[in-house]
Amino acid sequence: MTKVLVVDDSAFMRMAIKNILADKDYEIFEAEDGALAVEKFIECAPDIITMDITMPQYNGIDALKQIRTIDGNAKVVMISAMGQEMMVKQALVHGATAFIVKPFKHEQVLQTLAKVAST
Amino acid sequence: MSGQFSDEPMIDVYIFETTQNIEQLEQIILASEKESNFGEAAINEIFRLMHTIKGSSAMMLFNNIATVAHAVEDLFFFLRESKPAQVDCAMLSDLVLSGIDFTKVELAKVKNGDTPDGEATQLMQEIRDFLQLLKQTNFPAAPPPDRTPAPVNQQYYISSDRRTPHLAQNLFKAVIFFEDDCEMENIRAYSIVHNLKEFTSDLHYVPVDIIDNDASVAVIRENGFTILLKTDSDYAEIHKLLNNTAFLKDFELIELADEQEFVTFQTANNLNPMELELKLHEQLAEKVVLNSVPKAPTELKSGVAQSIISVNVDKLDKLMDLVGELVIAEAMVTQNPDLTGLELDNFHKAARQLRKISGELQDMVMSIRMVPLATTFQKMHRILRDMSKRLGKEVTLEIVGEQTEVDKNIIEHISDPLMHLVRNSIDHGIESNQQRLAAGKTAPATITLEATNAGGDVLILVKDNGKGLDQAKILQRAEQHGLLNKPAAEMSDREIYNLIFLPGFSTQEQVTEFSGRGVGMDVVVKNIEAVGGCVLVDSTPGEGTKVTLKIPLTLAIIDGMNIRVGNSRYTLPTTSIKESFRPKPNDIITDPNGNEVIMVRGQCFPVLRLHDLYQVATAMTDFTEGILIMVEQDTSSICLYADELLGQQQVVVKTLPNYIKSLKKITGLSGCTLLGDGSISLILDVGGLLEHVTHQVRS
Ligand SMILES: [Mg+2]
Repeated sequence: MTKVLVVDDSAFMRMAIKNILADKDYEIFEAEDGALAVEKFIECAPDIITMDITMPQYNGIDALKQIRTIDGNAKVVMISAMGQEMMVKQALVHGATAFIVKPFKHEQVLQTLAKVAST
Repeated sequence: MSGQFSDEPMIDVYIFETTQNIEQLEQIILASEKESNFGEAAINEIFRLMHTIKGSSAMMLFNNIATVAHAVEDLFFFLRESKPAQVDCAMLSDLVLSGIDFTKVELAKVKNGDTPDGEATQLMQEIRDFLQLLKQTNFPAAPPPDRTPAPVNQQYYISSDRRTPHLAQNLFKAVIFFEDDCEMENIRAYSIVHNLKEFTSDLHYVPVDIIDNDASVAVIRENGFTILLKTDSDYAEIHKLLNNTAFLKDFELIELADEQEFVTFQTANNLNPMELELKLHEQLAEKVVLNSVPKAPTELKSGVAQSIISVNVDKLDKLMDLVGELVIAEAMVTQNPDLTGLELDNFHKAARQLRKISGELQDMVMSIRMVPLATTFQKMHRILRDMSKRLGKEVTLEIVGEQTEVDKNIIEHISDPLMHLVRNSIDHGIESNQQRLAAGKTAPATITLEATNAGGDVLILVKDNGKGLDQAKILQRAEQHGLLNKPAAEMSDREIYNLIFLPGFSTQEQVTEFSGRGVGMDVVVKNIEAVGGCVLVDSTPGEGTKVTLKIPLTLAIIDGMNIRVGNSRYTLPTTSIKESFRPKPNDIITDPNGNEVIMVRGQCFPVLRLHDLYQVATAMTDFTEGILIMVEQDTSSICLYADELLGQQQVVVKTLPNYIKSLKKITGLSGCTLLGDGSISLILDVGGLLEHVTHQVRS
C-alpha cells in the first residue's frame, strides 16, 4: 500500500484528492499547512506527498525545502494553479518530482501518482 | 449541476468552506477599510482566500465564480509583489466586496441545486481597470503591464561543473509531447531540462523561451518540445529518464550519428549559444517567489491540530429524533403499567441508571447542535458599512455576548430579521449627523447587538441611540390603515410601539432603498414567530429604540400542554396559551353566520371546536362539559374547545410523516410527538389555526 500525505489548507481540495485515491491501493494522511506537513512527514514516512503551494504562513515551497532537507529522496508532487508558473519552477529546482495543475482530472492525479510511485 | 465532483458531500464541503472563506474575507476587508490601509498580512490572506476559492470553484466547474476570484487574486498578487504606494482603499474595498457579493449570489444558487450562471462582465472590467490605474499611478515609467519579460535566448547552458572534462560521446534528439489539458507545458519542459542537467554538458531546446514566455505553451502543444543534447549517458538511460516525465503523452528519442545534425539544428532554429548556467534561471525563479522566509516548522506550529469534523445537519436531526424516541421508550419501560404493585428494587435501580444516561445523551445531542451567534452578528458589520456609507451617517456596531449559543436550525431563521432590524435602525432610527450634533449627541451613533441566555430562551437585543419612535406618527399611520383595534387612549406605550410590526403598517413613503423593498417589519415578527419566539419593542423619545427578540434555544423540544379531544391527543406550545376556563352557558354567542364567539371580560373571541375541525368523535360537544383554551399569536387570540387538559410536559417535536403531508394539507398542525404512554400527539400550530378562523369568519 502506497502512503500518500495530502497537504492542502483547503478541506475541499484535500477531500477532492482523497476521493480520487479512495478505493485504490493508497493509505492517506492529511496536513493542512506546511508546518504540519513536515511534522506528518516525519511521523508517517509517506511514499508520496501532494503539496499545495498557497497556504497560510508556511507555504508549500517552504515545506518542500524542509522535507527535502530531511530526506533528499522524498517524492513531492506539487498541486499548483494557473498563474503559479514561477512557484512551480522554484519547486522543481528544490526537488519537486512532478506537478499537477488545478483544476485537475481524476486520471491526471492517478497517473501522476502511479508514475511517481514507480520511480 | 455538472462536474466530476457532483456528489453531495463534495458540494457540501465546497459550500461550507467557500462560505467560511467569504465571511473571513469580508471581515478582513471591513477591518482594512476602517484603517484605510491594507497591510501585508491582510493582502497575503486575501490573496490566499481568493486563491482557494478560485481553485475549489474551478474543480467544481463553477467557472464564473473561479474567474471573478482569479481576477481579485491577480489584483492582490500585484499589491503583494509590487507594493504600490498609492492605493485607493475605499475603491479597492468596494471592488472586493462586489466580488464577494457576486460569489454569495452564485453560492446561493449552488445551495439550491441550481447552476451558478451569473455574469460578471462589468465587475471583471472594473477590476481590470482598477489594476491598470494602480499600475499607471504608481509606476508610470514602467513598461506596459505585460508581466512577461521579453524573451531572451537562454536555451543553452553548459553544466556548471565544467572542471570535469566531458567526453560527451552520445548525441540525442528528443521530441516530447505532453498530454492534452495538462497545463503549464512550458514548466513541464523546464522540468525535463532541469532533470537532464546532471546528464549533459551541452543542451539546446526549442521553443527557446520556456522560462519567460508563457506563450511558449502554445508552441509546445502544437510542435512538441524538442531537445538536442550531448551526454555520456546511453540511449536507455536517457529514454528511461524521459519516460518518467509526468503527463507525458508521447516522445521520440533518436540517437544522432554525428555533430553535423547538431550544427544544422542550431542554425535552423537560429540558436545563438550563450553561456548561461541554470543557476541564472534559479535566481530568476527565486526573485519572483516572494513568500515568507522559511522558518523552522516547530516555531510555526499553527496551533493544535484541529480535531473537528463537519457533520450534515440532517444527520443531527435524525440523531435528535432517535434520542427523543429513546427517552420516550425509556419512560414506557420504566413506567410500564405492568410493573405497578411489584417489588422491583433492582429493576428500579437499573432504570434510574438508564434514565440518567439517556438524559445525558439528550443533553449532549442538544449541545452538538448549538452554534454561537458570532457569525450571524459579524455579518451585520457589512450591512452597517454599506448603509452608513450611502446614507452619510456615522454608525458604530457594538457586539455583546456573541458566544451565546442557539440551535443550528434557529440561527438560520434569525439572520434575516436581524438584518432587517439593523437596516431599519440606521435608516429610520438614527438621525443625520447634523441632527445628532444639534440634539447634543455625539455624531457617531451606536447600534448594539446583544445576546443573553434567559432560561430556555435566548434574548437578542437590537439597540440604537437614535431618535426613538414617534408615538403620534405611529398612531396616525395605524389609524390611516385601520390597524387600531382599540382607542389610542387605552393603549400602553408598548402596545403603540408594537403596532409597527403589524402587517400593512409599513407604507410606500417609508420604503427606502434599504429597509424597504416592499417588506415591512411584520416579516421580522413572522420569522421569529415561526421558530416559536416573539418580538418586543421599547423606545424612549430622543434616546433610542430597543427591539428584543426572544427565541427558544431549540426547535427540537418545546414546552407543551397536552390536551384530549375524543380519543385523540393534541399538544399546544405553552408559550401561546393565555388561559383556560370552563365557560358558563350564556357566555357563548352565535352570530348570524353560525360562527360561535365568546365574551371574556367585555371582549369577543372566536371559538374553534377542535372536534369539528379535525372531525373527531366525542361525547363532549357541550361547552359546559369540556374546556376552552385561549391562545394568542400576533396580538390576536381565539379560544379552542377541547375535552380536557392532560398536563404539561416537554415534548420532542417531530415533523409529520411525508405520506400524511402529501395526502392533504391539514390545517393548524406543525408536527407530532410521542407521549410517555406511547400514544401519538399532534402538535397544534396556533398561527395556522388563527388563519383558519379569520378565513372562516370572512367567508
Ligand atoms: Mg491553498
